[in-house]
Amino acid sequence: MNAVLARLRRIPSWQLTLGLALLVLGFLMAAQVRSLVPRAEYSSSELPPLRQTAQDLQDSQDQLKQQIVDLRAQIQAAEQQGQGNSALVTALNEQLRQARLAAGLVELEGPGVVISLRDSTQPLPPDAAPGDELVSAADLRRVISELWLAGAEAISVNGERIAASTALTDIGSSVLVNSSYLQPPYEISAIGPPDLYERLTGAPGFLSFIQDRVQQVGLQLGLLRSDTVDVAAYTGTVNLVEARPVPSSVPSPGPSNALVPPGDGGSP
Amino acid sequence: MRSRRGQLAVAAVTFALGLLLVIQLRAQSAGGGLDALSSQDLTTLIANLNLHNAQLRDEVSGLKDQLAQLTDAQTSGQSNVGELEAELQRLRLWEGADPVRGRGVMVTISGPISPDAANDILNELRLAGAEALAVQDQRVVPGVVIGGTTGALTLEGARLPDPFRIWAIGNPPNLQAILQRAGGLVSRIEVSEPSVSIEVGEVNVTLPGSTRPLVPADGKPRL
Repeated sequence: MNAVLARLRRIPSWQLTLGLALLVLGFLMAAQVRSLVPRAEYSSSELPPLRQTAQDLQDSQDQLKQQIVDLRAQIQAAEQQGQGNSALVTALNEQLRQARLAAGLVELEGPGVVISLRDSTQPLPPDAAPGDELVSAADLRRVISELWLAGAEAISVNGERIAASTALTDIGSSVLVNSSYLQPPYEISAIGPPDLYERLTGAPGFLSFIQDRVQQVGLQLGLLRSDTVDVAAYTGTVNLVEARPVPSSVPSPGPSNALVPPGDGGSP
Repeated sequence: MRSRRGQLAVAAVTFALGLLLVIQLRAQSAGGGLDALSSQDLTTLIANLNLHNAQLRDEVSGLKDQLAQLTDAQTSGQSNVGELEAELQRLRLWEGADPVRGRGVMVTISGPISPDAANDILNELRLAGAEALAVQDQRVVPGVVIGGTTGALTLEGARLPDPFRIWAIGNPPNLQAILQRAGGLVSRIEVSEPSVSIEVGEVNVTLPGSTRPLVPADGKPRL
């Protein structure tokens, strides 16, 4: 026993360092080889051109959105140049300002919460389905619904505003919002009343989301309250093809009598 | 001499280690994004991007026309009241401030449906291009969601009846197809919630404007 210890003590320190470094090297090489396997599979197929096409389309989408933001700003400026001409123009400009705010075309700042969601890195529980470890569109919809129910007045996810026409859907391991391809981590920014945080964290629906998806599956949830939450402007289309205005004999939008049953042409 | 050789060996190994570490970290950070998608997902994404970019291009050309009309009116000294009114009407219809009418679908839901499934139907209709939505007599705008618990749904604080109806204005075949196709949302709900039945039919309908205040009160425009 003593002989062994004495022998060990005689090993020079550089050999120990080298041994340790070689050990780490071995681990890294193994990790490297394993991570190379799926990439080699990809490169043999039609994937690279598809990926390039998707990337190009994504880039032109970003450009188009920027163009829309710029044009909307120019239009607003042009509209206001007519201001002072008449009381009517002034009133219309004010109504337009309000309508743009209501439609979500304006970036907002205010008190609220920011929720971050990341995929789970834990081993899945035995009863979970494959893919359960990923943040899905359904997860984002659940959290967004809870935020609305808690009184939020404006929400965006990774810079995409949740507007009247916004849908959230899964694509592969990621999510499309307003037809934009988002990647985790997802950051949900919501502006609302001062007690939004308390209302959200006390809501049974939000607590059951935490239990199902955070505690059981291991999604990583971050919750932050702030007085200066930024909610992005909607940069998509505001276009109607089927929807038409109702002739003005309906004076103010009444909740029950304005809804015409099917079959009736909808004429007032 | 001996320690010199040892130092060289340690240096060589550390160099290799550093190199591998960088490669490994790079490989991992590149793992996200488009690289993670299968060819089927990429094809879906491309189709989606193509469609959406076409819509965005239409919006850009519409906005360019609008801007041209505004500047023309200004240079010729005319009033731009007409353009302002048209823009206001378009925005108020789209955001749900004013009543709206058109072709679409009516979805009748009977039985104890979960709030998540009911909200999924709204999401699916938006995905298929719904331009205006209502649940019963309430226009659906951002912030209006179906709440409560399975069998006791609520909307804007009031109990929803059973059956209840969702209305959508938009291209009727598209709206019907997304809900009723094989493996579509209706069949998925009817499998996971077997006592729920969902009917979808084409309609011509008028939906009310929202009764909610739509202009944000807590958030201020960022300049």
